[in-house]
Amino acid sequence: MAKRETPLLDQLESGPWPSFVTDIKRQAETKPECWDILGILELSYKERITHWKHGGIVGVFGYGGGIVGRYADVPELFPGVEHFHTVRVAQPASKYYSSANLRQLMALWEKYGSGMTNFHGSTGDIILLGTRTENLEPFFWDLTHDMGQDLGGSGSNLRTPANCIGESRCEWSCYDTEEVCHSLTLHYQDEIHRPAFPYKFKFKFSGCPNDCVASIARSDISVIGTWRDAIRIDQAAVKQYVAGNYPANGGAHSGRDWGKFDITKEVINLCPTGCMWMEGAELKIDEKECTRCMHCINVMPRALRPGLDKGASICVGAKAPILDGAQFATLIVPFIKVSKDNDFEELIEFIEKVWDWWMEVGKNRERVGETMQRVGLPTFLSVMGIEPIPQHVKEPRSNPYIFWREEEVEGGFARDIDEFRAKHKA
Amino acid sequence: MAMSKEELKKAIEEKALTSPKPQLYIKDFYAVDPDTKPRDMKNVANEMVREGKLMFWSSGSTTMYAIPSRIKNEEGAGGIGNVE
Repeated sequence: MAKRETPLLDQLESGPWPSFVTDIKRQAETKPECWDILGILELSYKERITHWKHGGIVGVFGYGGGIVGRYADVPELFPGVEHFHTVRVAQPASKYYSSANLRQLMALWEKYGSGMTNFHGSTGDIILLGTRTENLEPFFWDLTHDMGQDLGGSGSNLRTPANCIGESRCEWSCYDTEEVCHSLTLHYQDEIHRPAFPYKFKFKFSGCPNDCVASIARSDISVIGTWRDAIRIDQAAVKQYVAGNYPANGGAHSGRDWGKFDITKEVINLCPTGCMWMEGAELKIDEKECTRCMHCINVMPRALRPGLDKGASICVGAKAPILDGAQFATLIVPFIKVSKDNDFEELIEFIEKVWDWWMEVGKNRERVGETMQRVGLPTFLSVMGIEPIPQHVKEPRSNPYIFWREEEVEGGFARDIDEFRAKHKA
Repeated sequence: MAMSKEELKKAIEEKALTSPKPQLYIKDFYAVDPDTKPRDMKNVANEMVREGKLMFWSSGSTTMYAIPSRIKNEEGAGGIGNVE
């Protein structure tokens, strides 16, 4: 494959930031087909239209996900990218890699693919960009047999579950996110590798409300660690923060002088529910008003810690924008114990109840959050067998209508209207 | 009463052969037997893929099913949706 002239793309190298164009040119020194990536992109810049078409019937035997077919619609001009399929490889839990594993993976991709990668895709997978159909099975064989790794999810499958670093390195984690993620990945192998749903489905696990995997914004079922009892307060450490002996935010943002730490300005006045105050030198928290926003704990990590009665909240229905724009997940279960002792039974029961309903009611290419929006939260709660609670209300009085079912009304709908009017004049 | 697995396979094949569109969503198969639960229907359709009677067609974001003979060749099949 010949070197391509790319005057338009070359301009992207002249800015202050590192450019992908430079990266691809460097890769083209050993993988000449990469010149055709630049060539086809240059053509698209000139003609202002894409020359990629994605989708198709590529895959590996027995799997209905993990490979995204991609083809050039001008293969005669750019034969090096006639096929340019994407391979999604499941990332290890919390994205802990050994350098040996990364080297082995890169050697495999140099052998069977373009050598170009994307660490990581928005779902969390390792994305390997660009290979031909005939390379897929040999690549898959080596990946699974030599490296013991697997493909991730794509299409209408359960996507590769993702989690934060959890208890492996974070003292705030309220449950073992790595254990849940690993266990459910094994439990739902069929759903990950074979399509099951009206559209994609993701779950992500965060150990605390800091939500380091942004599960509340990116997953259909978001499991976020929380606690039921009071924030643990070390009053001696509070005094040290107030005196300026401990750096706020664990010493983060220390690149400039922010002045003396002011607990009123930086913690108490920023509490979203106003549930904190000082009594003399003691910090007080009205526990029942706390929403577990984590701000005070983030600012004073040596003085404040999550409580001891730990578990998780479950939110449902987030998605990134494709149809109606970005949508955050809605709180459905305020607290659930997450325990390996019962093989995460309660969580699995919840997940499968959502699936059974969505598989039946969801439209093609409709995320579960969109289905919830279409039928309304009360219907979803009723299907899930969950009693509405104040935490389900997004904002008071935004919807004045309550649709009572007959069994919820004393006397049903067949009560005597004359008797009612005798007490309540029309 | 729900159809037996073999009856379902026959009905799915018939649907996939006669539908105007060569690629069908899993939900399109639900209509062949409303008494079969979605999860069971999915299992039967995926078993038919393993047997070579159906094949997956994926856009990257959505997966569809097709009779292999109704799709000429994979390199000619275009994309239909957004990939994520």
